[in-house]
Amino acid sequence: MTVTKFMVTAAAMSLSAAAFGAGAHGHGHGNGAVTGEPADASEATRTVAVAMYDNYYEPEIIEVQKGEVVRFVVENHGQLVHEFNIGTPDMHEAHQAEMSMMVEHGVIQGGKINHDMMAMDMGDGHSMKHDDPNSVLLEPGQSQELIWRFSSDTNIEFACNVPGHYQAGMYGDVTIK
Amino acid sequence: MNKRLITGAFALLMPVMAWAGEYDLTVDRVTIDTGDFKKQGIGYNGASPGPVLKFKEGEDVVINVTNNLDEMTSIHWHGLILPFEQDGVPGISFPGIAPGETFTYRFPIVQAGTYWFHSHSGFQEPNGAYGAIVIEPEGREPFRYDRDYVVQLTDKHPHSGDRIMRNLKMSADYYNRQQQTVGDFFDESGEKGFVATLRDRMMWGDMRMMKADIEDVQGFTGLINGKGPEQNWTGLFKPGERVRLRFINSSAMTYFDIRIPGLKMTVVQADGNNVRPVSVDEFRIGVAETYDVIVHIRDEEAYTIFAESMGRSGYARGTLAPSEGMVAAVPELRDAPMLTMADMAGHMDHGDMDHGSMNHGAMNDDTMDHSAMNQESMNQGDMDHSAHGGGMPEDPFYASGSGLLPTASNGGKFLSYADLRAQSPLFEEREPTREIEMRLTGNMERYEWSINGIKYEDADPIVLQYGERVRFKFVNETMMTHPMHLHGMWSILDVGAGKWNPIKHVISVAPATTVYMETEVDAPGEWAFHCHLSYHAASGMFRKIVVEGGPDSSVAEGEQSGKQGGES
Repeated sequence: MTVTKFMVTAAAMSLSAAAFGAGAHGHGHGNGAVTGEPADASEATRTVAVAMYDNYYEPEIIEVQKGEVVRFVVENHGQLVHEFNIGTPDMHEAHQAEMSMMVEHGVIQGGKINHDMMAMDMGDGHSMKHDDPNSVLLEPGQSQELIWRFSSDTNIEFACNVPGHYQAGMYGDVTIK
Repeated sequence: MNKRLITGAFALLMPVMAWAGEYDLTVDRVTIDTGDFKKQGIGYNGASPGPVLKFKEGEDVVINVTNNLDEMTSIHWHGLILPFEQDGVPGISFPGIAPGETFTYRFPIVQAGTYWFHSHSGFQEPNGAYGAIVIEPEGREPFRYDRDYVVQLTDKHPHSGDRIMRNLKMSADYYNRQQQTVGDFFDESGEKGFVATLRDRMMWGDMRMMKADIEDVQGFTGLINGKGPEQNWTGLFKPGERVRLRFINSSAMTYFDIRIPGLKMTVVQADGNNVRPVSVDEFRIGVAETYDVIVHIRDEEAYTIFAESMGRSGYARGTLAPSEGMVAAVPELRDAPMLTMADMAGHMDHGDMDHGSMNHGAMNDDTMDHSAMNQESMNQGDMDHSAHGGGMPEDPFYASGSGLLPTASNGGKFLSYADLRAQSPLFEEREPTREIEMRLTGNMERYEWSINGIKYEDADPIVLQYGERVRFKFVNETMMTHPMHLHGMWSILDVGAGKWNPIKHVISVAPATTVYMETEVDAPGEWAFHCHLSYHAASGMFRKIVVEGGPDSSVAEGEQSGKQGGES
């Protein structure tokens, strides 16, 4: 309908302006060492099931021991695309700018992830691939594992950085003992 | 407010029993002090605004309303889905509440969110008879916050509602301080050329509208929760907290553009229904709408809630602060937008319009054929947006080139209807069974407002059949923005998102635009449907809706009896 047409136009207009912004993707995630690092499933001492809804998590608090390796089994029970991302509030904020761009470019459309668009070359070898080890991005009904070693005791949140979701409260606290 | 829990004593014994609360409201003469002036008015339980009624989804409420006035009164529960006899519109739902009487409302609470209540009798609502409703959901909210505040706005005027209506009838521009004067006329003539100005002026005369009619009742003081700008309503927070603000526009006539300089606002609810969260710098709240936003405040600073009226003739101001008495800077009012001929041009053939230059003087008389305007009303689907060239993307909810498209003061994101998506669709998507056109019409010089050119008192009711899904086509042929409010049933605003279209109770229609909404006709009885600008509703922009049939009667789809409401 009318609005759809309008939005397509708007997206097309912003495409050219966003090319340089694409370069930012990847940098935001590189400092995974601050919060820990990916680990092997065999090292995990326990499994935590994380359910994602529109737009909140269950549970909203996860307690871990410093140095512990946790196997997260993340499932999207909602009707929208959601992310489970382990990071500091600053890392999440940086990632939100990238996720906004993914929505503007139609990589994330409500309940769908457009993988072709995601892989598209944005120039300079950059793409909008969402392949950082501290994060999973899921369509409704999908489930994925993330194995993480909490080697640091900085202020860590798990968060969904799809635009608006974190701001509305789709985050949880990791308390490290 | 006095709440008694009938089930309180039994609650432990019978945990499955429905939660039932009993509430008492008195309707009283009160004094309203805005800081600028004091005025006798009407309130609830001795104050204006009245109390915040806190309900829980699934609760059966009993509300005893005692009329302490010497005139009839009523309370309408704005946005609540309830049996029509409980809707509180005198002459449609019930006869009203006589002086000295107590009327008992009883209805189940079947929804959650932020709503409000107000008198539906005469001009009691502009005179102060309004309050807020907050309904806690049965399950958890799909968002998180540490505390919440109702932020209820109004446009308190030093004149009583009756006096304002009389003055408007006498002279429609009585309260319009921004209209053009003879002096303006000659100034402009120098710039644009006398002939062009004269032609411009004559066109406006033909339309029986005046320039700068964005606000036709100016001279008010904007209030937040009953407090004027100097009285500065303040909501406290602790640094690091997320605060939910429940904005309600209880104004008689005034739209507000709201911002909190220094904070992003994440809109999570519109008209009581959850929407997909969208972070904005500023949003416009139409009369009778509600928007819930969440702000995350990290530092120990005060922030100003600044609500400028759409026509910039006044403002409301409050503060969010870590401690009482802390304040932040109060911005200056921005310049008033001026309506241009391009507004009405939105109703005309785009092919003849030069959007690039917007040269009104160049429009020839053929393109300004007013008789053709109804047929040529803007079809958004056909708009060629690429023709507008670079710059700002167009917003389909404002006539292109009208000068009315709002922008955020910091250059950031201004919420549009086009951004709204239902968080969780309430209804199955299906084809509407029929379309009813409602042209929003008016004669500004006589201050007559109407639908399809017919005033309420001369109009037949709109008859709908239970079980149908009606598509309403609003065509705004006036120069003012009209917040259209259907009682008793949801208004599904068409933003082109299919089943994700947002569910509202007020649909704001900007000048020279066409806006569609659909309604699942699922509530038998008689309902009101009107512009929520008090003096527009009172002068005729109002209809009665009759829903025939009900869940027990079988109505064949597409088969209608009785008078149809389209009137055209």
